[in-house]
Amino acid sequence: MSWEEFWVILGVCGACMLVCRVLPLFLLKGRSLPEGVTRALALIPPAAFAALVANDLLSPGMFDAGLWPAAIPLVAAAVVAVVAAKTGSLIWCAVAGVGSYALLSLLA
Amino acid sequence: MADALGAAYPIMLGYVGIGVPCGILCESVGLNALQVLLLSALFYSGAGQFMIPNMYLTGAPVASIVSSVAFVNTRQMLYSASLAPWCAGAPRWLAFLFAATVTDESFGVSIRRFEEGGWTADRALLVNLFSQSSWAASNVVGVLVGSALAIPLPIAAFAMTSIFICLLVTQRLTSANVVAAGCAMVGVLACKLVGLSGPAILVGAVAGVAVALAFATWRARSAKGSGRAGEEGAGAPEEAPQEGAAASNRAQAACDLDERCLRAEARAGREADSGERGGESR
Repeated sequence: MSWEEFWVILGVCGACMLVCRVLPLFLLKGRSLPEGVTRALALIPPAAFAALVANDLLSPGMFDAGLWPAAIPLVAAAVVAVVAAKTGSLIWCAVAGVGSYALLSLLA
Repeated sequence: MADALGAAYPIMLGYVGIGVPCGILCESVGLNALQVLLLSALFYSGAGQFMIPNMYLTGAPVASIVSSVAFVNTRQMLYSASLAPWCAGAPRWLAFLFAATVTDESFGVSIRRFEEGGWTADRALLVNLFSQSSWAASNVVGVLVGSALAIPLPIAAFAMTSIFICLLVTQRLTSANVVAAGCAMVGVLACKLVGLSGPAILVGAVAGVAVALAFATWRARSAKGSGRAGEEGAGAPEEAPQEGAAASNRAQAACDLDERCLRAEARAGREADSGERGGESR
């Protein structure tokens, strides 16, 4: 990749990212928001985390290569969910997730 | 400082796991350590920094790379909006720096701490900066060691998935939250089914919020027993405050001391209170 290509990619991606990250916060910050907006904002975390989890775990055709390869992340995810419910700890969840995923991959 | 480090270290460790492979991938398309450092400092996106070398390897033109990457990162708008109420008292420079360094993972950690209480924007900024330092350093290490180090990426990346699962599972178990999460998941899968994997997270999350909002509005109305349920679907957000106040008045006027009415009154009061977050606790 040339420096010219690099600068274009960094410039455009960086600028879009900055606008997406900063603009909504400054548009809403310090205003008294209507109750419906507040309620919608409070619903963003569960919706976003669920979307991120689904994006990582689910895809069309994931079972095409057989049940087991696709089931590995799902089983590991179930282990993580149990650890999350028991401990609520991010680091224990990461350890349990990577550990069970690696173990299941070895067994496969 | 110690608080922020305590909140950030799961993210920092996770970023080592995916940052090093990301650096290795960047090195394979001819990016050097300085370029990777600039990307991590000024762009700072895990998904984006994987997409750039991946798409470049497949011979995609620069215009297609930047538009795909920009599309994937539009979900950041949701985090930004969601964090706004918590930054109300923060100085502009602090809010700017904080907003500019939010990622999926640091958003999750900070929103959880904010909701638990006793968390401040400057600590949240420190969490972001610790995470970003770890990400940048890991990327540079990846470039420097190159492919000498073989990290199985699917396994390392599962650390991030695990963090998202933990953040999801530890959300308050309200019916509106459950509806939001369920619809978001269905939305993501639906997007992927029609080939829109780029904006899947944004579209799925927005769908989840919209359906849960409509659900909460419908439930609040049907709880009043006024028979207007479902009349207007989601309802415009601007209507909500008057709706809440009206509900409060109506509940107060109509209520005997029977339990159902007390519940309705409590619910109406909660709606009128803009500080209340989420629906009714189960």
